Amino acid sequence: MTDPLLVEAAERVFADTCTHDAIQAAEQEGWAAGIWARAADVGLPWIALEQGGSLVDALAVLRVAGRHAAPIPLAETGVLAGWLLFESGLRVGEGPLTVVPGRPEDTVRIVGDRISGTAHRVPWARAAERVVALVETAGTWKIAVVPGADVAIETRSNLAGEPRDTVTFDVPAQVAPAPPGVDAAALLYRGALTRVMLMAGALERMSRLTIDYTNERVQFGRPVGRFQAVQQHLVQGAQEAVLVGIAADGAARAASRGQGRFEVAAAKLLANRAAYTATRAAHQAHGAMGMTQEYALHHLSRRLWAWRSEYGDDLFWSVRLGDAVARAGPDGLYPAITGGSAVVDV
Amino acid sequence: MRFEPTELTDAELALQEEVREFLATELPRGTFRPGLGMGADRDPTFSRKLAARGWVGMALPRRYGGGDRTAVERFVVVEELLRWGAPVGHHWVADRQTGPVINRFGTEAQKERFLPPICAGELSFSIGMSEPDSGSDLASLKTRATRVEGGWLLNGTKVWTSGAHVNDWFIVLARTSDEADRHEGLSQLLVNLRSSGLRVNPIPFLDGTAHFNEVVLTDVFVPDELVLGQVGMGWAQNTSELAYERGGPERWLSTYLVVEYFVREHAGDPMGERAEALLGEAAAQWWALRQLSLSVARQIDRSESPAAESALVKEMGTRFEQDVLNGVRRLVDLEPSLESTSTFERLLSSATLTAPSFTIRGGTSEILRSVAARGLRP
Repeated sequence: MTDPLLVEAAERVFADTCTHDAIQAAEQEGWAAGIWARAADVGLPWIALEQGGSLVDALAVLRVAGRHAAPIPLAETGVLAGWLLFESGLRVGEGPLTVVPGRPEDTVRIVGDRISGTAHRVPWARAAERVVALVETAGTWKIAVVPGADVAIETRSNLAGEPRDTVTFDVPAQVAPAPPGVDAAALLYRGALTRVMLMAGALERMSRLTIDYTNERVQFGRPVGRFQAVQQHLVQGAQEAVLVGIAADGAARAASRGQGRFEVAAAKLLANRAAYTATRAAHQAHGAMGMTQEYALHHLSRRLWAWRSEYGDDLFWSVRLGDAVARAGPDGLYPAITGGSAVVDV
Repeated sequence: MRFEPTELTDAELALQEEVREFLATELPRGTFRPGLGMGADRDPTFSRKLAARGWVGMALPRRYGGGDRTAVERFVVVEELLRWGAPVGHHWVADRQTGPVINRFGTEAQKERFLPPICAGELSFSIGMSEPDSGSDLASLKTRATRVEGGWLLNGTKVWTSGAHVNDWFIVLARTSDEADRHEGLSQLLVNLRSSGLRVNPIPFLDGTAHFNEVVLTDVFVPDELVLGQVGMGWAQNTSELAYERGGPERWLSTYLVVEYFVREHAGDPMGERAEALLGEAAAQWWALRQLSLSVARQIDRSESPAAESALVKEMGTRFEQDVLNGVRRLVDLEPSLESTSTFERLLSSATLTAPSFTIRGGTSEILRSVAARGLRP
């Protein structure tokens, strides 16, 4: 189970540091040194890798980070890049890390100890102390790590204004073979799981923000949240938040026992769906105020729209999950729903 | 609003396996007409067989013939029955809500009289809440119980009373006194559906089935010992009854079998991307809705009252039941017919005709959203 003290500590750090102005500034500047320093100070990026720490705890911290739209590479540093380094026996170190997510248009190659080619949509590459890539070379998976200062970076960003840079390598790298089970698919599922946690947090906060706003905003002499038509939006936002929330819990639990592929696929699919339905409800309930930079809703809604496309969009996960469930056959369909990855191979 | 994540214990998983084996043996596919969730057929013989396994009234106390089992254990059994399309109609209402309500509010004599036959799968109940002019606004009901020597005389009309023509009893919510607050002065009365002065008029359902009724009560005598709980406390008791009626697996499984039979009869090999996408999305939603529903059952086992949570789940689950049905329909090119020899086509046809009721029965989506919204207030 999750350590409640840890979640509280994370809540304090992000509530203190991820103020409206700090998030706005991070988007302008492409980095939030202050927020990173506070999170690093209490070890939040490396929870999963520390003695006594667990993946479930690290994922719980990500959910808190999602709630506060924390503009730092928390998922990348500990749960993704740090995991690859740790698994292959390479040094994890102390600074911010990033990972090449692996887009179809990437051309990254490893020849000997040299890494070359271009990778796309790399989170916070411009601020990363080191960049980690998982590359297939002659049928085996290798993990390469290079200093961030040694790569060429074209700055790019996602819909939320978070850095998603294009990185071109042409340098010697530290290279290690990936251990069994660490491959592109494993990174994909783990990456999807990080986005599920971030999205679950963002959906919870968005629901709360909408409830509070419609309780304060008065029209026709009463809070707009008292109108049934508006309540419909509040309920829909809450429904999506609890549905994705419980799916995230299930996915984190299953992943901590193995890969939990059914649960991660299902949770990411539901989170992606909620990124449409819940943001639509939240924006409608907020009216024009929600469309401004000065109000916090866009910190959450834009992240949800960005994160849903990372590590597998709707079509990808629905077809993959549907294919697995179809293979279970009509008699295996319900046992697949109740048993998840314990009985069905996604 | 809280939904704690939960998992089935090993004992609960063993029970699930036991129910699956029972259904595969007692009710193999092809030997019965599978139905749509709680709208499935009624079969008193099957209900008695289930009861013999201890799976009717299982959450009721052992001294009244129940099993002292938990709400989660009942969930595990009910979920399997529903997804199998088993004929649960005979015992459904008694098992889900009447039994628990009598156990919670009834006198010792009422418990001894009603609970053992409920747990045996024998006694069947209908629901006596709605009236011609009182649906969502239930507190406006006009059925009145007037004090007479040794009991009450009941006058009024109840509608949408499923199974009144075949069931044994129903609990009638009626006004026993006029109070400034109309939520006061209401009481629940246990009424035999074969009482003198009681007339059952069928209301044909739009799909041609005959389970819907109007029940007219004219000077029906109800003795004092059949007033459930306290006189005047009917509203609160009825509200607690509704909590049992919402949030369970019957609120997201009504169209499950349409999908299973689509896979059984129509899925080519390979299946095609559109069908896979639909199946993937449906599987994800069933999986997560089930987690929410299980979480509600755990809350009931902790003696909490998850009224807002149940409303939230029911509104979402029933909407999904309709959406997944339409999703399957869009994958096939056929003219649905209730007379089709294909089980898939019959289920698709039946579900198409009855699906609008999913978001009405047990509280309309509009009322449920109001209940849920109250639970969300800051």
